[in-house]
Amino acid sequence: MADSAVFRPGLQQPGWQVDRFIVSTALVGLALLGGLIWLETAPFMVALFVIGTVLGMALYHGAFGFTAGWRNLVVKKRGAGMRAQLLLFGVTSLIMVPMLHSGQAGLVGAVAPVGTSLVVGSFLFGLGMQLGGGCGSGTLFTLGAGNIRMAVTLVFFIAGAVLGSIHLPWWLDQPGFDPVPLVNTFGVSGAILVQFVGLGLIAWWVNRIERNAHGNVEKGELLWKGQAHGVFRTLLSGRWPFTWAILILAAGNALTLAIGGAPWSITFAFNVWGAKALEVVGVNMSQFEFWTWDYPAMALKDSVLTNIPSVMNFGLLLGAMLAAGLANRFNEASRNRPEGRQFLAAVVGGLLLGYGARLGFGCNIGALFSGIASASLHAWVWFACAFVGSLIGIRLRPWFRLPN
Amino acid sequence: MGKDSMERAYSRTRILVILGIILVLIMADHLRSPTFAFNSGHGNVETALNQRDETTCAPCGAPCPSTRD
Repeated sequence: MADSAVFRPGLQQPGWQVDRFIVSTALVGLALLGGLIWLETAPFMVALFVIGTVLGMALYHGAFGFTAGWRNLVVKKRGAGMRAQLLLFGVTSLIMVPMLHSGQAGLVGAVAPVGTSLVVGSFLFGLGMQLGGGCGSGTLFTLGAGNIRMAVTLVFFIAGAVLGSIHLPWWLDQPGFDPVPLVNTFGVSGAILVQFVGLGLIAWWVNRIERNAHGNVEKGELLWKGQAHGVFRTLLSGRWPFTWAILILAAGNALTLAIGGAPWSITFAFNVWGAKALEVVGVNMSQFEFWTWDYPAMALKDSVLTNIPSVMNFGLLLGAMLAAGLANRFNEASRNRPEGRQFLAAVVGGLLLGYGARLGFGCNIGALFSGIASASLHAWVWFACAFVGSLIGIRLRPWFRLPN
Repeated sequence: MGKDSMERAYSRTRILVILGIILVLIMADHLRSPTFAFNSGHGNVETALNQRDETTCAPCGAPCPSTRD
């Protein structure tokens, strides 16, 4: 009898196998960590942990990879993944921009300065996405699903993020200006409208590329039904249509804002984990300006269980693991271990991702997704610069023996 | 054939060890934190349960460029 992939009586359907070991392990992990968060912090942190778990499942089952979506557009001239991202940004900004400006106290948007640091950081991040094989969310959810190469990427992602935190004050002193919330110029409705026009123009450009190359536009991002199975089975074992993932990711970010007070972010946690590791080996992080600022200093001093990005990342990892187990595809991407130049790509990509994320005020989630959902100009600058970096990264992939 | 190779693509023990190490690291970090001290009855400690700082210019807590010398 197979050890790790057997029929589960309660879920048995023709042809449906789940990896019982992985599903059980993920559920035990969720229960243990969830219980610990419940006992030691506050109920709202448990809620954020659960949201992180659901987001991890949505990213995995929806195969919602920002990196692959951009590469598919450039290499294969197919734009469904890119249009799904644009749709996600539009839906989420429709929910979150009014929330942020409803007058409710304690809600803070993902806004950030626009300047040299942002331009350089987002460019490096885009380059790193293609070499590292994932972005902030992609690295986590594929690692949770057992992709060993992503463990290498994550380790160097963390190292790059800490290095970026040490250098960020210098970059902030280079030319730049304070955050530009579009709502200040256009009002709530106007900001949403301006963003819709921007997203629409990008969608038009994406369609044009696809139509010129293939003569048609595949509308895969608009499908509502799973292709192979019924709703229940598709919900548990994937693959989700993009629309399901879009709705869950949009709702998840809005709930994160409502419960945690700030939109979804990922990479700040990597800074905290890396800095804590350095402190364990004797490095005094308070000698670096970044770690004297109130929020980083508090996060470094206190438990990771009180740090919202960390707690949501833990949920995301376990949620992706659970989803991969339900799909019986855990570790599927790791049959070929990274060696030679592929290993080097994970190292270089990870460093660029981490350094770029810190300079660029976040990753594809914290800066791009949450930034557009907050109607902040910096998110649009981030998008453009990261895409240019990604174009170069795609050209470099063959040298690193990475398939395009 | 394909299924068999996928089943052997990971080691159960390795996964349990990795997750165990992560849990131990989280616990070790938590046990020396102000939040744990507060929960253990030690008053007068500042915890970071609500870490947002609405006065900063970026989600990471960076100050505004206009405020820098």
